[in-house]
Amino acid sequence: MSISGPQRSFLDPQVLSRLSSIPLFSRRAMVGNVSGIHASPHRGSSVEFAEYRKYVPGDDPRRLDWRAYGRSDRYYVKEFEADTNLRCCLILDTSGSMNFGTTGVTRLEYARRIAGSLAHIAIRQGDAVGLTCISDKLVRTIPPRRTPSHLRGIFDILEHAEAAGDTRLVERLHELAETIPQRALVVLLSDLFVSPSELREAFDHLRFRKHDVVVFHLLDPLELSFEFQRPMRFLDMEGGTSIFAEPNEIADRYQKALQAYLEEMKTVVLGSEVDYHRVRLDSDYELVLQNFLATRARTKGAR
Amino acid sequence: MSFLQPAMLWALPIIALPIVIHLINQRRYRTIEWAAMTFLLAATTMSRGYARIRQWLILAMRTLAIAGLVFAISRPLASGWLRLAAPGTVDTTIVLLDTSPSMQQQGNRAGVTKLDAARTQLMQSLKLIHSNHWIVIDSATLQPHEIESPEMLDSLVPTKSTSASADIPGMLQAAYEYLRDNRPSQTEIWICSDLRQNDWDAESARWKVLREAFLEAPTPTRFHLLAYGDGAAGNRSIRLTAAETRETMSGRELLISLVVRQSEAEKTTLPVRLEVAGGITEIPVELTGTETELVNYAIPLAGDPQKRGWGRLKIPADANSADNEFYFVFDEPPPRQTMIVAENDKGVRSLQLAAEIAPDVETVSAARVMTPQQAQTADWDQVALLLWQAELPDDSLRPLVESVVDRGGRVIFFPPEGNSADEFAGLGWGDWHEEPVGFQTVNWRQDQDLLANVRSGEALPVNELSITRYRTIEGEQSKLATLDSGDALLSCAITPRRNVYFCGTRATDDHSTLARNGIVLYAMIQRALADGAESLAAARQVVAGEVDADQSVHWQRLASDDAAVSTRFRFHAGAYEQNERLYAVNRSSDEDRPLIVDSERTAGLFQGLQFDRVDEQTGEDNALLREIWATFLFLMLLALIAEAALSIPRRRPSQANVTPAFVKEAAA
Repeated sequence: MSISGPQRSFLDPQVLSRLSSIPLFSRRAMVGNVSGIHASPHRGSSVEFAEYRKYVPGDDPRRLDWRAYGRSDRYYVKEFEADTNLRCCLILDTSGSMNFGTTGVTRLEYARRIAGSLAHIAIRQGDAVGLTCISDKLVRTIPPRRTPSHLRGIFDILEHAEAAGDTRLVERLHELAETIPQRALVVLLSDLFVSPSELREAFDHLRFRKHDVVVFHLLDPLELSFEFQRPMRFLDMEGGTSIFAEPNEIADRYQKALQAYLEEMKTVVLGSEVDYHRVRLDSDYELVLQNFLATRARTKGAR
Repeated sequence: MSFLQPAMLWALPIIALPIVIHLINQRRYRTIEWAAMTFLLAATTMSRGYARIRQWLILAMRTLAIAGLVFAISRPLASGWLRLAAPGTVDTTIVLLDTSPSMQQQGNRAGVTKLDAARTQLMQSLKLIHSNHWIVIDSATLQPHEIESPEMLDSLVPTKSTSASADIPGMLQAAYEYLRDNRPSQTEIWICSDLRQNDWDAESARWKVLREAFLEAPTPTRFHLLAYGDGAAGNRSIRLTAAETRETMSGRELLISLVVRQSEAEKTTLPVRLEVAGGITEIPVELTGTETELVNYAIPLAGDPQKRGWGRLKIPADANSADNEFYFVFDEPPPRQTMIVAENDKGVRSLQLAAEIAPDVETVSAARVMTPQQAQTADWDQVALLLWQAELPDDSLRPLVESVVDRGGRVIFFPPEGNSADEFAGLGWGDWHEEPVGFQTVNWRQDQDLLANVRSGEALPVNELSITRYRTIEGEQSKLATLDSGDALLSCAITPRRNVYFCGTRATDDHSTLARNGIVLYAMIQRALADGAESLAAARQVVAGEVDADQSVHWQRLASDDAAVSTRFRFHAGAYEQNERLYAVNRSSDEDRPLIVDSERTAGLFQGLQFDRVDEQTGEDNALLREIWATFLFLMLLALIAEAALSIPRRRPSQANVTPAFVKEAAA
């Protein structure tokens, strides 16, 4: 499939072509509207045997398994697994902090690359893809569709997305958990600079709605190392108060706070069974996606 | 604390340099738009107790390091309890050095005497003080010696030890006179002494006069007392109390009497070495208490044809070497010649008898009677006592009488009949007074001088005298006996030697019962004769420092400390000779009594003056003043090390693990 429309800055055709060999699998059973490659919670007409079930009036007599009747003198119906497509909902955090980036690429740009690539892969394998840009509100949203022409709209939104405003990530996730139909693949691209405990509630909400949640936690190397040579005045990208600090003096406490946050985040994602990927902005997004897709290919199949 | 380079202290404000650098550094901030504010806020609100203290500590250590450097190059002085004037402001520094024998006592450090320690400590300390003039006043001569630098204290002759007792008030008086004559601006007086009571004479009225003089001085004087009151125990001293020769059947022998004193009542046998007439004899003395006396120990002198000579007593070395020796000289007793100068024979016979009757058979006494005219041609050289019962000497006779007085002979004036306005030694004759019933003597000096009690302690029967006719004594006098009329019966003129007496009455029946009573007259004349004969004795025991300089200028050394120079023989114990006369110089008996002036009394002597006192241990390693720049450099080093230790970046937690390894765990 070729990328329709003008050349997008966040898409690399070579990367897409290399990634196209690895399908995007869901870790959970999805509910699609057409046949696909993902497991469905319902019985269907695939070739994969599921179970025998006693015949009840109303069942199609053609589905009676006569061999089983011959062996047991009872009526059984043979059921098969169903394969379906999925709804992939990409949630892009477009708050002000997503504009940060010291490696030549901002967090938002990095998120665009991942989101664009995933949308391309999903559409290519027949899955429906939607996109929601959030900050302190739902900035833009486009419902999941599986048509190739829908991809252009997604790319357009990605291209025009701007990082601005405060973060209300938790509230927006709760909102989306309710609005997205059950059993979807929810991919969140954010810096997750919110309280992990609050985030856990949002993840649990999504999990309750039987969504397969994927999180790409985008962190800049400077945010992790916090290495500065002179006193700094830190301006809040989301409009908060500025802080004047001698980085060398508070570096240890910064690291302590960061470590505590990351540890808590780890606990949250493990508890919420979220497919969590912590990504440094200086790492190659192709590798990140390869790793993501390959991991999912190994863990697919739960129904 | 004082500084040798106080100008460098102007650089002290640079200790604010770290603070200024800190402030400048704060101005060099950069602005960055930051996303992870949540961690930053957490970091800034996290407990900052130690971190804040650490910052302050680093700043303090840097400031301390610079302060240490500034102080080090300002060359600080550690002065203990001394309150020194600011360097550069002292114009004259006067050192009063007690060189008395007691300063020869070893201190707590073996081998170092108090005097050596004082000199060393003064040299080490004073060389650090800037002063325009350096003056040393030694306790022997009381003369101010100007020196170029404190280092000369060690080589200067007057700072060497002597056998003469110190006169601290006299030294202060000399210092005051120097200040009065030279009028320096700021003066510091350093007194080094062991606070012996006999040296300080704390009860003397001179102290009050001195204190007031210094208080009224136009420029303030600061006093520093270096007290060496402590000392090693176990000291013994030896003193000869009598030495005389006598003829025995087996030949001549020397009789000596001695006293050994010890600080602790130890029972032992002390070998006293007696060196006399070229021979050495060891006398074992059994010590029992703190004071042991040996009387008339006989040493045969059979092999020595000389009837005169010198000797030395010596005891083994102990804490104070200055009181381990005692010199003596001996000779045949001098003839006791009395010259009686009288206008007429009336009452002369009694005086002649009292002078001629010797107290013992071996003493040769003679008295010649003559008129004033005859006296002019008489031989005055051998006169021990002059009894003058005539008009006071006129100009022709006055020099002859004065020669007797200056030599140490005794002169007693009795009242003449005639009236004249002349005076001698400040005294003259007043009016005659008569009382047929007789005047009584109501009081007299019984402790000393001519009318003192006898050895057994009994008083002379002065009160039994009846004076029917007497003449008042005019002039400034020291009354030895006073009549009930209030006039003096016997007075002593205020002369340096106290050897001129005026007796207000005559030894005749129409004047007094002096002749009839006899005892008082006899004792008075014999005592005066004995004292006067001392001045003629060919062998004299003298106390160091109490001999006039002109009297000792031609002394030849027989035996003494080799370090003594000829001009200072009179201050050093030893045996000396001049014109067939022998002199034995020794310390005063007070030096053997280790009585100390207590600190309260000492402070009281300097009340109202700028005074401080340091009780120094004897020892070289106890300098009064020390340069302590090294200490400040060390402190600076410590501060720098501490600063470096505090500035070491704390080990940061390892950077956040970005590998999603735990995802597998989650998936499993």
